[in-house]
Amino acid sequence: MNVIRFFYLLGIAISLTLAWIFFPGPRTEAGARAPSTVKWVPSLDDTEEFCQFDHPEWRKAQTIEGVEIEEDPQCKPDNPYLVASVVKGTDRVTMPTLMKTRLAMDAVVKKDDRDGDGDPDVIHIKLEVAELNGSTPDGDFFIPGYRIAPGLTPGIWVFAPKMRGMATVDAVNLDANRMLRAPSPPIRVEQGDTVYLTLENSHYLPHTIHLHGVDHPYTRADGQGNDGVPVTSEKMLMPGQKRTYEIKPRQPGTMLYHCHVQTDKHMLMGLQGMFIVEENRPNNWLQTFNIGAGKVRHRSQANRKQFDQEYDLHYQSLDKERYQPIQAYNDPRLVAKGMNRDYNITDSNENFFLLNGEAFPYTLRDSLVVVEPEQRIRLRVANGHPHTLGLHFHGHKTTAISADGVPLDAPVTRDVHGLAPAQRLDLVLDTHDDGLHSFGEGAWLMHDHAEKSVTSDGLGPGGDIGLVVYRKYLDQNGFPKLQGMDPVPFFNRWFYQKQVPVWARSEEWAIFADAAPLPPNTIRVIISGVFLGLALGLLVALWRHWRKGQ
Amino acid sequence: MKRLQTCLWPILLLPMLAFGGHRMDMDSMVMNENPMTLPEGCQKIAGDQKITVHAGRKHAKKFPGVVFAYDQQSWDVDPCTRLTVHFVNDDDIRHQFMVHGLPEKTYPEGMFTIEVSGPGEETASFILPPYKKTYLVHCDIAQHTEHGMKAQIKVAGGDKDLASLPGLTKPVRPDRYPTVWNTQSVIFLVLALAGGLVLVWGGRWLFKAMSD
Repeated sequence: MNVIRFFYLLGIAISLTLAWIFFPGPRTEAGARAPSTVKWVPSLDDTEEFCQFDHPEWRKAQTIEGVEIEEDPQCKPDNPYLVASVVKGTDRVTMPTLMKTRLAMDAVVKKDDRDGDGDPDVIHIKLEVAELNGSTPDGDFFIPGYRIAPGLTPGIWVFAPKMRGMATVDAVNLDANRMLRAPSPPIRVEQGDTVYLTLENSHYLPHTIHLHGVDHPYTRADGQGNDGVPVTSEKMLMPGQKRTYEIKPRQPGTMLYHCHVQTDKHMLMGLQGMFIVEENRPNNWLQTFNIGAGKVRHRSQANRKQFDQEYDLHYQSLDKERYQPIQAYNDPRLVAKGMNRDYNITDSNENFFLLNGEAFPYTLRDSLVVVEPEQRIRLRVANGHPHTLGLHFHGHKTTAISADGVPLDAPVTRDVHGLAPAQRLDLVLDTHDDGLHSFGEGAWLMHDHAEKSVTSDGLGPGGDIGLVVYRKYLDQNGFPKLQGMDPVPFFNRWFYQKQVPVWARSEEWAIFADAAPLPPNTIRVIISGVFLGLALGLLVALWRHWRKGQ
Repeated sequence: MKRLQTCLWPILLLPMLAFGGHRMDMDSMVMNENPMTLPEGCQKIAGDQKITVHAGRKHAKKFPGVVFAYDQQSWDVDPCTRLTVHFVNDDDIRHQFMVHGLPEKTYPEGMFTIEVSGPGEETASFILPPYKKTYLVHCDIAQHTEHGMKAQIKVAGGDKDLASLPGLTKPVRPDRYPTVWNTQSVIFLVLALAGGLVLVWGGRWLFKAMSD
């Protein structure tokens, strides 16, 4: 009896094994003719205009309240009224000018021409801390909203100039207002100025400011810490509190400022900005903030004398796992645990790569370096990535003249400049067409040659791709004239969600689209089915045999 | 005295009105102040009410997981009342008392705002409409509303309670916290299990009794 049951069971096992072996797999071999192409035509309804901008008059050169503001012909230039306000001081410009910005009246206060050279030497600067794309208990959306590229809204923290009014555009549009954006704005002061940099911690977690590379005493005049390091210098600045850092920088150069609380989180969440000390010159009124970095529309006297233009280029990156807690939770205890105890930077990978706070294709709107032939342009570059930046310029070899604010004894001319994390380089972009410094006019790419940096979460083109664009390659809206791939899909909000392909409007879609799936191999289906049936039959027979034996 | 005060209002407020209800200096800002113009539907100012509102970190400490808050989360006001808000900022940073949903004919963008730039105070007035409605009050500095600085003004009892008011109402999207089983939870689970068994046993007994 038991022997018969054993054979039944053995038969079932063999039949099931053979059925499994012959069962068609997830992929099927095609015959002589490959399957046809599935015509996938995604909707492109959610595509933005290449250049959406409501103030084209801001692009031209102009003088506001006596402040000369250089032309910035690209799509989205800086607000010239804001430039004028931070050059003169927010307490000195007229109310109509200040009202065209969101700056608080005490954001930048300039006083006392101590050396009698025609410019103020005591500068009060106030910063706040803002969270972009944070969660809300009031629904499934992020606020204030900030897109780094179409459809991409990573969580970011920034230092921001002290503002007034709403963080959002208005009561209906919950996107961050124009001034509230990444990166934390470059700050400019003059060599020898007495600078009071006040951090008003408007965020729900503690922060500090460390003036990285900027000449500053370890303690303030009153003995309080001035280095911004919670471990050694001072206590963390808690929500609702303020602290003033006092400096009188003796050396010019391109430096940094960043939060020194949990730098593996806070600094890399975006609490880092460029801090530029300009050479002391007479009548040197500086653009204290350069919102969104990029072109400096009111340059220092020294810069005007030596160069034709100046740009700030701030590279940084974001990690999805690092910012996930601020989008998943509202309770700061859950955010703190998620960031400080659950997140581990040694296991992390950066996902988004930004040039001046945005990723391609938004970099085409306001992070272009727009040049004319035969110019010398100063590029101040900061590497805010946690990895080495290999900055490559197509069509040019730029010359490094200063590193970390120290002039180089021997300037280095290269087409890839390496910058260690937190390092700064001052580069000269020379547009004389000599086959070395410039290969001639065009819309030339510039990007980090660590290839992941030219993607957004692994999908390219994206990341920190920027352009050096010669003026004749700029259209009337300040958008570069592109003659390569169709840029429409890049401006669709579903492109970086991998729902709209690069070739969405290509006539050659048949090369890139999905191959139609094939039906399973008929012989395998039959064999597998037979063995499955056999197993089932043996099971029934076994059951009947067992019943009979009862 | 009250009549004198009413007569003095226009004179006292002339400079303010000249700027369309906006005023700003280093310490504070007021937008859409309106102590005189009646919102549509109000025949007259029904009365004056003054509230003092404190804002800051310390007012949030009584609410776990909240960082910034007002000292009160809800105010009741009669229709067509002229509400004078004395707004006191107890922090070293900016805070706002911003009201939304007001009639746009009288209040551009439907808003009335007092912002105090740091430790300090400011006072301003506005007239509430006649309808039964609940108005959002919040601080619109990035993430302040989301971390507790949110309240409501209920006119004539209001038409609802707003969500996410610290200590008063539930969020629309509440956080989810780690679960920990305590004795009470275990007892409830055991009792529920026993209840399930009794249901089966009772059902079988009932079925048997009916079959017999």
